Amino acid sequence: MTGTTKAAIRTKVRRRAGAPFAARRINLLYLPAILLFLGFTIYPLVNGFILSLSNWNGYSPSRSFIGLGNYFRLASDPVFHNTLINTFIYGFGSTILQQVLGLSLALALDRAIRGRNVARAIIYLPVLVSPVVMGTMYYLLFSYDNGGLNDIVVALGGSKIAWLSQAGTSVAIIVLVNSVQFVGISMVIYLAGLQSIPTVYYEASQLDGADAWQQFTQITVPLLRPAFATSVVLNLIGGLKLFDVIQVLTGGGPGYATNSVSTLIGKAYFDNQSAGYASAMGIVLFIIIAVLTLIFNTVLNRRRLEGL
Amino acid sequence: MKSLWKAAAALTAIGLVLTGCSAGGTGGSGGAAKLEFQTGLATSDPILKTLTTMTQKFESTHKDVSINLVPMTNTYEADMKVRLASSDIPDIWATHGWSLLRYSDFLEPLNKRSWAKNFNPALAPAMENKSGEFFALPADTDVAGIVYNKKVLADAGIDPATLTTWDDFAAAAAKLKTAGVTPISASGKDSWFAGNIADFIASGAVNKSEKAGLIKGDFASGGYTKVLDLVQSWQKAGYFNADFSSATTDDLTRSLAQGKTAFIFVQNYVVASALGFVPDAELGYFPIPSANGKPYLVGGEGHAYGVSKTSKHKDQALEYIDFLAQPDNLGKLASAIGGIPGLTNAKSDLGVLQASYEKFVKPGTFPLDPYFDRVYLPNGMWDTMVTTTSGVVTGQSGVTESVGQVKKQFGTLYGQ
Repeated sequence: MTGTTKAAIRTKVRRRAGAPFAARRINLLYLPAILLFLGFTIYPLVNGFILSLSNWNGYSPSRSFIGLGNYFRLASDPVFHNTLINTFIYGFGSTILQQVLGLSLALALDRAIRGRNVARAIIYLPVLVSPVVMGTMYYLLFSYDNGGLNDIVVALGGSKIAWLSQAGTSVAIIVLVNSVQFVGISMVIYLAGLQSIPTVYYEASQLDGADAWQQFTQITVPLLRPAFATSVVLNLIGGLKLFDVIQVLTGGGPGYATNSVSTLIGKAYFDNQSAGYASAMGIVLFIIIAVLTLIFNTVLNRRRLEGL
Repeated sequence: MKSLWKAAAALTAIGLVLTGCSAGGTGGSGGAAKLEFQTGLATSDPILKTLTTMTQKFESTHKDVSINLVPMTNTYEADMKVRLASSDIPDIWATHGWSLLRYSDFLEPLNKRSWAKNFNPALAPAMENKSGEFFALPADTDVAGIVYNKKVLADAGIDPATLTTWDDFAAAAAKLKTAGVTPISASGKDSWFAGNIADFIASGAVNKSEKAGLIKGDFASGGYTKVLDLVQSWQKAGYFNADFSSATTDDLTRSLAQGKTAFIFVQNYVVASALGFVPDAELGYFPIPSANGKPYLVGGEGHAYGVSKTSKHKDQALEYIDFLAQPDNLGKLASAIGGIPGLTNAKSDLGVLQASYEKFVKPGTFPLDPYFDRVYLPNGMWDTMVTTTSGVVTGQSGVTESVGQVKKQFGTLYGQ
């Protein structure tokens, strides 16, 4: 063994001995993140679950344990059932609309056309606006008196329409406003996906005589699956948790007609003084979102792998 | 080892920053006392302007005290609940009708203050507990009926004093509708307007035995069904404003002041806001009709201010409340509210409402019923009343379904 080899071995041994300390140092650096995660995610979740087993009114020093009473109440509460349906409409409605619009916009703005960067920025801009501001802007558009839309209707000789007084139209308006605001996210995801598809596939298919539709269905769509999975899951979670826009546009009304689970939680907690019941709703919403996200992730990822 | 120390130092720094972020409260025990007063008043509210002037006067004579008058957000009740739940309690706050039922556990009793002997006895059922304690300074005595536009009714040839039954009221509404005026304006957005409709009607529609049952936790649906049946009949006749779902308080008061709306079921304080749009609007209020032709007024605690019993500056806060309770100050506050003073030794200028007061309140002809929800329903029922009434007004819910919802919520909250 030469002197050089011995020195190399000594260095390796020293490195190995130092490895655990380096690992310890890295673990220690995790600590702030772990503490924040424990404090702001795990603790509220556990506390929320404990709260859901009580009939606390939301402000008194005392509370009583009522077991699963709040969960049984949820199962038989028609208002909650209707709210759950609304929540799915907001979640899936917004997701579908955002995929269709987002993909269409991405395809249109992926081409080398003049002003495409400006157009991309304009479409993405609402994402940066607070949903409360967005909701207020649309409220001013849809409100009965002095509403922009009704001004147009009247100018065209029609009568004013109470856009937000019917459950069906109000729910549709909420889905539309949410979709318009966040379509920019889908567009950006799809644009990134489109730009990652090598042009050689299109050139080869062109030589084989494929038309534009065939290129879209046989090349673009399969290769956009990873982008699709990301966009769907993000939009779905956002839609299921929808709160601000509803609160500003309709306040959950008329009656209980446009509530999402999130807005109903606010009502139950602060207005009805049923903090325990509100927490039970929160836990159910958490489970629904977790299960749906898991299902979508699994299904979409499996398809993605099959597509490879 | 050096890294370990660095990490520990970093964590300590984070801890200090977080502690700094959470440090709130109302000032330390040393130096000037900084009091937080949650006024429950919007920034544009004329009452807040009066209160601000008064507070500046107090501060000028009490150099060791500064009072932060905090305007309300549109989630005032929720904000207060969060503050109470987290023991981050303001020194003084507006109790908005709930000094006894909701806040009394957190408030200092005021019945032994020097001005307490002038407490308006009409407020006792709503504000005093069985031991004779009350927990807030009443700036006004809330007496409410149906607020109306005098000119609109006069033009239609309707004398509000003759509207003693709901049939009379419906006939007047039909006449007004034909004349192109919206008979009743309310809102599902600023939702207390919808809740008031049910609350005002319920005092007369729910009979004595049903009321006694409610206090014992027994919800008989008959009386409340009558309330919502009436609301539904108005909805079917098209008496409500078309912008019910989107109207704000300003929209409603503007419409009333401009003579586009005839009636609003609301407390008199909105008159100040209406006069902001049309200063010479002729407005008044009249007793609420009933099925049996015996109209009544509703009322109770209006604008009232309580002191936290755990405030670090309780003495200064009580001193400030004593200052507000001085007859001159309380009179000014009540005048700004447009209400009858909450203390008998104060006098207020009721402005445009003086005539209604002289005609319907002063003679004592019409009984003053307490607000239905505060006496007969458990704490927390208000939102259910609001939402179910809103559902009926917009035709989104039927009467049976809505009464069922009220009954269910009653059972749950009574159980709490």
